Amino acid sequence: MKNHLFTLALFLSTTIGFAQESKDIDSTAIFILDKMSAVIGDLESVNFHLSSSNDKTDADLNIIKDYHESNITFSGPDKLHIRLNGTDDDIGFWYDGTNMTYFNYNENNYVTLEAPKTTMSMIDEMHASYNFQFPAADFFYPAFTDDLIEGFDSIKFLGKKTIDKETCYHIMANNKKLNVQIWISSQNDVLPKHFVIIYKDKSNMQYEATFNNWSLNPNIPDAKFNFLAPPNSRLISILKK
Amino acid sequence: MTSFSLNIKHKLGILFVFIALVFPSDLLAQRMGHGASRGGASRNVSRPTTTHNRSNNRAATTNRATTPKRSINGGSRTTTNRSFNGHSKSKISNKKTTPNRTTNRKTSNVKRTTNNKAANKNVNKARNKTHVGNNNVNVNINNSRHNNVRNTRVRSSHVRYSRPPYRYGGRGYYCHRPYYYHPYRPFYWGPVWHPWGYFVTSLATTAIIVSIVNDNDTNNDEYHYENGTYYLKTEKGFEAVQAPIGAQVPEIPKEAQQVKVNKTDNYYYGGAFYEANSEGYIVVPATAGTIVPGLPEGGEEVKIGDVTFVQFGDTYYQPIQVDGKDMYEIVEVKEE
Repeated sequence: MKNHLFTLALFLSTTIGFAQESKDIDSTAIFILDKMSAVIGDLESVNFHLSSSNDKTDADLNIIKDYHESNITFSGPDKLHIRLNGTDDDIGFWYDGTNMTYFNYNENNYVTLEAPKTTMSMIDEMHASYNFQFPAADFFYPAFTDDLIEGFDSIKFLGKKTIDKETCYHIMANNKKLNVQIWISSQNDVLPKHFVIIYKDKSNMQYEATFNNWSLNPNIPDAKFNFLAPPNSRLISILKK
Repeated sequence: MTSFSLNIKHKLGILFVFIALVFPSDLLAQRMGHGASRGGASRNVSRPTTTHNRSNNRAATTNRATTPKRSINGGSRTTTNRSFNGHSKSKISNKKTTPNRTTNRKTSNVKRTTNNKAANKNVNKARNKTHVGNNNVNVNINNSRHNNVRNTRVRSSHVRYSRPPYRYGGRGYYCHRPYYYHPYRPFYWGPVWHPWGYFVTSLATTAIIVSIVNDNDTNNDEYHYENGTYYLKTEKGFEAVQAPIGAQVPEIPKEAQQVKVNKTDNYYYGGAFYEANSEGYIVVPATAGTIVPGLPEGGEEVKIGDVTFVQFGDTYYQPIQVDGKDMYEIVEVKEE
């Protein structure tokens, strides 16, 4: 009898928990996200421009907005270059399959680290260990749709909307902490056009970005991804999280 | 009535399922979570159907058969049986691909946080372990000997911080003034001061043996002092080191600068802080919030999140600007 009660208690404790957290997932939204993810997964190289803004708080806890412009290039499974400049930042990332270098143009110093063998594992490790943020990297994770399903309680298709004279599919994902809205181009390439992340638990602060100038499968020389230290620049240390 | 009993295998199986359901991994990367992307996908498996079977089983994962070999992300990956009920994800292992490769490119020194309290308790053991890995900034000087943990600990500021701390890796970095980067260039205190690591076989007769007040160090290190420079006696001679906390000296060089520390005057020379007393001057720990005009050799610039501080052992200096002059403020680090 004790065995039966033990088993029943285990299953009840798990199933009751799930009953409270059932998800509201729209199959149309999933279809569009899958399509977008498949197109990105088929790319052998890509270059695009990203205009982004993010909220942050100043010393008096007022919300202020920062703006950034990024030029991002992926090539093969192990090459990445990002050039980002904005309100306070002027930085570059170089990843050549062996090392990742972060260069700060304002400070004229850089960090070079040994990195994993693929771009996505490099992005993941550098973010986890050193808090490096790679703009729009979320969209390049191979299981992007599954990531959303796993991390959000609801994913909905909100219909077709027009952004910058381009018709897009509007998708919204929600969980307790985040509201993510994605606009995906309805044209043949089905590529992301715009997205907004609202941090519900941080005074509804936002990160917003617009994709432009997609160049699919361009021929990019490997040398672009090799970092050459500018004269008088300094290699500095870095603290792991 | 049929009797039903559970054997040990059944019990273990049920327990395993319970643990897997109750403690799913909850890793985050970038701005959204990417647990599924980290899962091990079986490659070269054709996608059987585009219809989503909404069952609770999400074990199977497929890569698209047409994925090019040089795909930028290894090809799109979708699970064939998706669960929309949450918490049923399979255990995800983050692929640890820490490379064990030798490359010609010089890489940064990766530093790890240390526990201040533990470090202060174990001063003797902690010596020579302040720096992890190779120091690429000052390749000619082994700093580990010169700024040991005890001599670089920081006293808390008595003034309340009006600025929010810079948070990184579970720590808050508190400063009174805003970050204003300027490159670290060691300050030159004149010809009589010698940088840490400077070695001589013998000292001038004017050098004195330093007495250290409240010294709990059981190493019986013998420190000598001459014109603002401290030397540690070694088998082969004397090596310039950071001023040991508690060192009592009769006088300090006239180039010492007055700095305000918690509304009292301290004196700063060669990276050391002094308080005046009846017998002369005593070396005291650095106090958070103190502003100093220059730093000696032996520090290294460390990127901590979005900012770059100069580190000496356990002391971090934030670059700031005061009335148009480049200076440094001692950072208070708190575990959060």
